[in-house]
Amino acid sequence: MRTVTFLPGYNKIVAPRGTTILDAAQRAGINMNVVCGGQGKCGKCVVYVQSGKTKFDREKFGRFFTEEELKQGACLACETTIQGDLSVIIPESTLIQEQKILVNGIDTAIEFHPSVKKYYVELQSPTLADPSPDLSRLLWGIQKGGGPIAEKMYAPLEVMREIPALLRHSDWKVTGTIALVPGGYRLIDLQENDTSQRLYGAAVDLGSTTVVAYLWDLITGKVAAVASNYNRQISCGEDILARVNYAQKNGIEKLQALAVDSINAALTTAANSARIDREDIYEVVVAGNTVMTHMLLGIDPAYIIKEPYVPVVQRALSVAAARIGLTCNKNCGLFAFPAVSDFIGGDIIADILACGMSEKEEISLLVDIGTNFEVVLGNKEWMFSCAGAAGPALEGGEVLFGMRANPGAIEKITIDPVTLAPAFSTISGIKPRGITGSGLIDILAELLSAGVIDRTGRINMEIKNPRIRAGAHFPEYVIAWARETDIRKDIVITENDIKNLIMSKASIHAACVTLMKEAGVSRLDIATIYFAGAFGNYINKKNATIIGLIPEIDLERIKNIGNGAVAGANLALINRRKRKLLDGIAGQIAYIELNAEPSFMDEYTSSVFLPHTDLSLFPRVQALLESIREKKEAP
Amino acid sequence: MIPEPNFGWTSTVGEVILGATRAEGGTRSRSYRIGGGTTLPFMEKGITSPSPLIAFEICDDSRFWSPIINEFCGDLIHDPGAWAKTAETTYGADLVRLCLTSTRQRDFSDIPTLGKTVETVLASTTLPLILEGSNEPKIDSEVFLKCGETGQGERLLLGTAEAGRYRSIAAAALAYNHSIIAQSPIDINLAKQLNILLTEIGVQKDHIVIDPYTGALGYGFEYSYSAMERIRFSALKGDADLAMPMICAPSDSLTIKEVREADTGVRNAIAVEWEFATSLAAAVAGAEIVCVRHPDTVKRLKAAFTGLKTRSGM
Repeated sequence: MRTVTFLPGYNKIVAPRGTTILDAAQRAGINMNVVCGGQGKCGKCVVYVQSGKTKFDREKFGRFFTEEELKQGACLACETTIQGDLSVIIPESTLIQEQKILVNGIDTAIEFHPSVKKYYVELQSPTLADPSPDLSRLLWGIQKGGGPIAEKMYAPLEVMREIPALLRHSDWKVTGTIALVPGGYRLIDLQENDTSQRLYGAAVDLGSTTVVAYLWDLITGKVAAVASNYNRQISCGEDILARVNYAQKNGIEKLQALAVDSINAALTTAANSARIDREDIYEVVVAGNTVMTHMLLGIDPAYIIKEPYVPVVQRALSVAAARIGLTCNKNCGLFAFPAVSDFIGGDIIADILACGMSEKEEISLLVDIGTNFEVVLGNKEWMFSCAGAAGPALEGGEVLFGMRANPGAIEKITIDPVTLAPAFSTISGIKPRGITGSGLIDILAELLSAGVIDRTGRINMEIKNPRIRAGAHFPEYVIAWARETDIRKDIVITENDIKNLIMSKASIHAACVTLMKEAGVSRLDIATIYFAGAFGNYINKKNATIIGLIPEIDLERIKNIGNGAVAGANLALINRRKRKLLDGIAGQIAYIELNAEPSFMDEYTSSVFLPHTDLSLFPRVQALLESIREKKEAP
Repeated sequence: MIPEPNFGWTSTVGEVILGATRAEGGTRSRSYRIGGGTTLPFMEKGITSPSPLIAFEICDDSRFWSPIINEFCGDLIHDPGAWAKTAETTYGADLVRLCLTSTRQRDFSDIPTLGKTVETVLASTTLPLILEGSNEPKIDSEVFLKCGETGQGERLLLGTAEAGRYRSIAAAALAYNHSIIAQSPIDINLAKQLNILLTEIGVQKDHIVIDPYTGALGYGFEYSYSAMERIRFSALKGDADLAMPMICAPSDSLTIKEVREADTGVRNAIAVEWEFATSLAAAVAGAEIVCVRHPDTVKRLKAAFTGLKTRSGM
C-alpha cells in the first residue's frame, strides 16, 4: 500500500500500488473535473506530482501540457498510476467549483396533503374481557385518532415483529407512521411515546450536473431547509453518455453509489442546517431524467442510449429508500417520477406538474433548457414532446469565454448602441472571468440591436471601434479589457461563438415549431410559455425573444418556473393527489422523434437567423429592430 | 382542350430594370425590365410575355476559363471588347456578363486595368452588362467600387453577394444605382435570409436578383430546381422577401467528368448539350436570366424558348 497526500488540503489516503491518482482522489472525497470520464481524452484532471514515483505516458498525453508544466510534474490524474508514496498538488482549476444552483421552485400555493402521516395513540391494555390482538388494537386506535380505516391498513413483517414489545414497553403509548402506498396504507414505523411532531420528507431534483434537495416539515407544511451540491457522478464523466459508457465498462455500482452519495450529502446538509435528525425523514421523492433515475435505482441504463432507445421502466416507482442506500429512517419510502422516453424523463414530468399545463384548458409551451433541451406543447387533453441537443453553447460550452454559472460569470449585459460600450453584472459581483448562458443571450440581442452583428450573426467589420477587431481566428467583440477582468485576458465574443449560439437557439426554436405544426397550433394559440431549467431562471425574456429562442408572444405570458424538476418533486411530496396525476401525464404525452421529422431540418435552417427567416413570426421584434435602426440613421 | 390551370396566386414576381438607354441616362441600345411573372414560367397567358434572357459570359483572363470555350472562341478570348461585340452581333446574346477573372491571381492589385476593361466592354457592346467582380474578400471593396463607378448610369447587375460577403458590393450598388446578384447555396431559407440582409443595409428589393446556385445536371441540379420552384411559389403567394427575379449560371456543367473526359471529337458537342439542358431546365424552373459560356448554347436556347412559348415543340 502507498500513501498519497493531496495538497493543498493535506488529505491523506492509502491506496494499493497501481491505482490511478484519480481513483485515490475520489476515495479521498476530492471531486475533480473529469469531463471525459477518466479516459485521458479531455485533459481536465491536471495534477502536479510534487514528489514520489508514478507511471505516466508523457509522450502520449504531452499535448495537454507545455514543457514548463511537464517540468513541474504536471500529469493527468486519470492516466497516472501510483508507484510509491506521493505528494500531489491539485490546482484549483482541476477541482469542481461551487456553482450557482437554482433552489427556488415555482411560487404557487400548494394544497398540503402529504402521503405520510403520524398518529399518536394511547391504547387500552388488553384484558380477558378485551383480548383483541395487538395489531388490531393499534390500527383501531389509529383509525379512532383520525387515520385511515383499520381494515385498509397493513403492517409489514418487520414492523409486526416490533409491535408486541413496543406496545408494552411504552405502556401502550405509541406513534404510528402511516404511508399511502400503491397497495394501500402501510404502517411503516412504530415509535414509543409521542413523536408525532417529528415528520419530515424530502423532494429531490437529481440532475446530471446538480442535486437539489428540499426538506419539508410534513406536520406544518413548511420548507425546513434547502441544500444543493454537485452530482458526484461528474467524476465519472460530465455528460450522460460518458456516464452510461462508464457504467458499461466498470459496472453500474459506482455510479449508483455516487448518485446516492450526492442525495445523502444534500439531505445531510439540509438536515443539519435545520437541526433535524435524518431518522425523522420518512419519504423521499426524486425527479430525475430517465438515465439518472435508472442509475439511482441501479437499473442498467445501457439500452436507453442504443437504438431503439428503450428505457427499462416508465411508470413511477415506490421502493424502500434503504434498499438503495439513502440514509433516512430505515422504513423511509422512495418515490421516483415516471418517464416518457429516453429523453423525456421524470424531470420533465415534474416540470409539467409544476407549471400545471396538464390540468389547464389553455395551450402551454414548456421549454426546458439544460445540457439538452426538451419541449412540451399541449393542455389537459393532449401533449406532444420532443427533445434534442442544443449543443453546449447556451450553457457556456463551445464558446471561447463561455462558462457555467460560477462566480465571476457575466450573467447580464447591455451594450450602448452609440459607444458600443457594455455594462454588465457578474455572479457574486466579482471581476468577470467569463460569460454564462443568460449573459450570452443578452450579448446576442444587444449586438443585434446595436447593429454590430447582422441577422446571420456576422460582425460588421466596417464599424470603427476598438471593441470590434479581427481577432486571431475570427472577428470578435471585446466585452471586457484584460485589466478589468479576473483572468488578465480580454474577454471577447467571437463570430464563431455567435454562430454556435445561433445554432443552439435555432434547434430549440425549430423544435418548438415542429411540435406546433404537429399539433396544428400557431404562436397566437399559445397562452403561456414556461421556461424551465437552471438556465431559465435568469434568462431575459425580451432578449430570448429578440434572438428567436422561443416563439414571440406577449412577454408577460412568458413565465420562468426555474427549477421545475424540484418544484414538481415538492408538489408530489406534499400533495398526494398531485402524485396520482403523474402516471397519467406520462401516459398522455406523445413523443416526437425530431430526427424522423423531415421538416425539422427546414425549420432549423429558417431559425438560423436572428430572430427568424420568417419575420412575420416575430412582428414585435421586427418593429423594435426597425425603430432602433431608424433612430441610428437619424442625424 | 387542356383547361387553364388556376393556382389561386395573388402576387407577382417583382421587377428589376437592367441597362439604361441614352434616354434613361446610359449608353445601352436597350434596357430590360425582368420579373413581373404571375404564374409558372412559360404559362403566362399571351405570347407577348418575354422569354428568359440569355447572358453570354466572357472573362478578362482566360487562364481561369474552360479550355473548351477557349478553343471554340479562338483569339477573341484575349480581347474582351471584341468578344463582347461578337456576343451581341454574332452569338445573339441578350446580355453580356463580364467575369473579372484576373482578380483571381494571387495578390492582385491592378484595379485601374479592371476599370479600363469594363470601359472597353461597355464601349464595344450596346447590350446591358452583368459584371462579376472579385473573388477575394480583401479586394472586394476596391474592385466593386471601381466597377460601380465605371458603369455609373448604366444600371449594371453586379455579382455576387453572399451571406458572408455582401457589404462592399451593396455599398457600390447603392452609390452608383446598380442592381445586385444575391447568391445562396441552394436553399430557400438562405436565399430569403440574404435578401433580408441586403434590404436591411438599404438595397431596394427592385435592385436584387436571386441566384439560387445552379448545380450541373446530374450533379445536384434537381436540388436547384426544387429550391427555385419553392422560391417562385413563395413569391406568387406573397412573400415579398423572395419576390425577386432569378438568375442561373450553369457554368459547372463545363467542368463535370462527362465533359472533361469526353473524346476530343465529341467533347464540344457534349459540352453544348449539357449546358443547354441545364440552362433550359433552369429557365423552366423560373430563371429570368440564364448565363451560358458556349456560343452554340445561345442559339439552342433561343429556339427552345420560342418553342415553349408557342407550344410548337423545339
